Amino acid sequence: MVFNSLQFIAFFLLVLGFYRVLPHRGQNVLLLVASYAFYASWDWRFLGLLVVCTAVAHVCARLLGRFGDGRARTLVLMLGVGTHLALLGFFKYFDFFGDTLRTLLGLAGWQLDSFTLKVLLPVGVSFYTFVAIGYVIDVYRRHTDPCEDLVDVAVFIGFFATLLAGPIERASSLLRQIRSPRSPTSGQAAEGAWLILWGCFKKMFVADNLARVVAGIYGADAAPGGLAIALATVAFAFQIYGDFSGYSDIARGICKLLGIELVVNFRFPYFVRTPQEFWTHWHISLSEWLRDYLFLPLGYAFSRRLDGVRWLGQRDDFWIYAASTMATMLLAGLWHGAAWTFVLWGAYQGGLLVVFRFLALRRRKKRRPPTSGWMFEWRHAPAVLVMFVLTCYGWLVFRADSWAQAVQFTSRLFTAFDPSWAVVRAGGLPLLLYAGPLLAVHTAEARRGSLETVQGFPRLARYSIYAALVYAIVLFGEFEGSDFLYFQF
Amino acid sequence: MRVKAVLQSNAALLCAVAIVQFGLFEAGLRLKGGTEAAPEFQRLFMADPALGYRLKPGATARFKTAEFDTSIAINTAGLRDREIGPKAPGERRLIVLGDSLVMAVQVPLRDTLTAQLERLLNADAVPPATFRVINAGVQGYGPVEEYLFYRDVAAALQPDIVILALYAGNDAVEAAGTGHRLQEHRPGGPANESLSLVDRFTQWRRRVIRRSMVLQVVRLRVSTVLYRFNWRQPEVDLPLRAYLPEAPPEIARGLDVMTEAVSRLDALTRSQGAQLVVLLLPARFQVDDEDFQRLRDMVARLGETLERDRATERFKSALEKLGVPVIDVLPSLRHAARRADVFMRSTAHFTPSGHETIARALQQYLVDHAVFERER
Repeated sequence: MVFNSLQFIAFFLLVLGFYRVLPHRGQNVLLLVASYAFYASWDWRFLGLLVVCTAVAHVCARLLGRFGDGRARTLVLMLGVGTHLALLGFFKYFDFFGDTLRTLLGLAGWQLDSFTLKVLLPVGVSFYTFVAIGYVIDVYRRHTDPCEDLVDVAVFIGFFATLLAGPIERASSLLRQIRSPRSPTSGQAAEGAWLILWGCFKKMFVADNLARVVAGIYGADAAPGGLAIALATVAFAFQIYGDFSGYSDIARGICKLLGIELVVNFRFPYFVRTPQEFWTHWHISLSEWLRDYLFLPLGYAFSRRLDGVRWLGQRDDFWIYAASTMATMLLAGLWHGAAWTFVLWGAYQGGLLVVFRFLALRRRKKRRPPTSGWMFEWRHAPAVLVMFVLTCYGWLVFRADSWAQAVQFTSRLFTAFDPSWAVVRAGGLPLLLYAGPLLAVHTAEARRGSLETVQGFPRLARYSIYAALVYAIVLFGEFEGSDFLYFQF
Repeated sequence: MRVKAVLQSNAALLCAVAIVQFGLFEAGLRLKGGTEAAPEFQRLFMADPALGYRLKPGATARFKTAEFDTSIAINTAGLRDREIGPKAPGERRLIVLGDSLVMAVQVPLRDTLTAQLERLLNADAVPPATFRVINAGVQGYGPVEEYLFYRDVAAALQPDIVILALYAGNDAVEAAGTGHRLQEHRPGGPANESLSLVDRFTQWRRRVIRRSMVLQVVRLRVSTVLYRFNWRQPEVDLPLRAYLPEAPPEIARGLDVMTEAVSRLDALTRSQGAQLVVLLLPARFQVDDEDFQRLRDMVARLGETLERDRATERFKSALEKLGVPVIDVLPSLRHAARRADVFMRSTAHFTPSGHETIARALQQYLVDHAVFERER
């Protein structure tokens, strides 16, 4: 049951109908039942995994709440985090590492016939295990109080709107709202309707249509020319953005109809100038999770090892940043999928962050003080373009079916560009048609630095956009109900 | 009160914007072309007082979709064919009446069944005999219009053989909706009283949808969504009802009207010394197994059974009473489909290979039954 399906619409309208008439406690029970039914609609066998994750997080959080400082707290933390990582590792990575080990042993001359278990990947497991880990760590750090109510915790971890592809919510935000009485306002309903429409447009018009262009090049039997690869990669940049941010928008929209506010997960990520900015505008909830629970602890650990070093003219703080960043981004790459291309993509992103940090340190004296709020300015266009090209190269590695394809495509970009009008027409025209309207709206939003720009337009302009989006979805949208890309992560 | 006024004003503005954008999208899609609703295609037609519309003499168009790209030229007689001169000594003329399956805008003229039949017959002709096979198919016609078209236009071409191509897929439905034309030849005559209000509304809705590209896409989307999510449609689509075990009343009425039109055509051709032969064409799903599977499942979900050849049998049974020869090309098409696609992927029309199969079946019939000997 995907968001852009009639089944989900019927399911959600039913939930919304009951939700409106129930008291707070009843609402939470309803959300739990609905969430588990939603997850079971994918594969009921994995419901047990979700229940185990919830139970472990709940028990650990309550124990952490009872224990004072000391060894017991640390043990409970390790038990909580370790259990979730073990579940994630087994279900997501067992076969991957098994295959890798078999290959390595094969290279050494040892044949290992069977090392994989053909483990099925439970949909959304990367997301809800991270939510559960975040909750346990937040309670350990005393950033949030443990919740006594199992139903509330179960809704927080298994909430159907965020269960499959995030945003990766924190207890301080979502659990707090679940524990408090909620009554959706008319303003939230209007914003929710807009977000759902906008999300459907991003998914069904932009992403699903561009998916065909991308698949035509990345799935071609014969090696395509460099221009075709470049256009398909830019198309993929908009496909993955439309797909994932579309899902996030729909999730935020339906939550607003329930009176719940989710975090903003994307903020015009292709209008930024540096990788540092990119990761505060792309999949923001994951970036912040990685920063708080991985990067900062790693930085602390590395600071003890690298304290006082000075290599290549750089002080220890740069090397601590570089080591923490590379480790974090390699794991972030692996989080996206059990394949070495994702690890390579993580390394590439980490490398970009380190290089830009290095360059920023060298130019520190020339930097202007930051302005109060982020917004896109036309004078930044060249830097934005350079960053977009760098980001797109990352997507080439990310989308490639194998290392070999990534290397081959990279090589053809420089050695066999093969420009022709036919290639531009086959790749560039769809790109213009499907990504153009998205880019136009985002340019207006980024210029103001606000995601609420369209709602601030005069009535006629606003209604024209609403109607155009509906027509675009109905006339040109993909109605075969394809899954969202991030479900597989 | 004020809230109500604001809501009304917002709703009115939204409706106005939606209507304006409907026009813009409609215009954009028509300019882009690729469907029969495009102005490029529509200019092939002109109004006709008795028939509603007919092909416009001298009109030309290019019909291009992802699957085909065809240049269409209408001759001075208002037919999709070469110019037709006076009948030469020794010339045998065949006219093929029919709908879009005969007109065949999806393929070049040389690949239509009429052109292919002409080549096949002339290849075996003994001089000074020659054969001229005329394409008198018109998009959207049903048996009634085909009879009237022959009476008012094609009869003047002095045919020796008239081949009426009937489409089992929808000709019963088409006939049911146009039976009144057999009584009333004037435009604006009374509507067909025999149809129920619901059926008349359905036919009106189909006509409206056919004229709008936006509505055609919307209809397609609704069907896709309903089909994909197994949501019940209110009833079996009208043309498919001809394939149900028990013919609904509108199909029975349509078959009666069709029989009446064929009977009149037969009488008219006999009075001119020509001979009528009926060519029975199947729907795509009668040949394409995958298509049949899909439609059978869809109909099954509505609690009905789709019998693959039921409409063909009904047509044959209805025509049997008239004593008109009937050529059923379904077996030939099924046989040919094992080797090549006989139907287009995107439409229910024939490929050049499908046209060739039908032309060969027709030639075989004409030779086997010594039609020209009898006619002489």
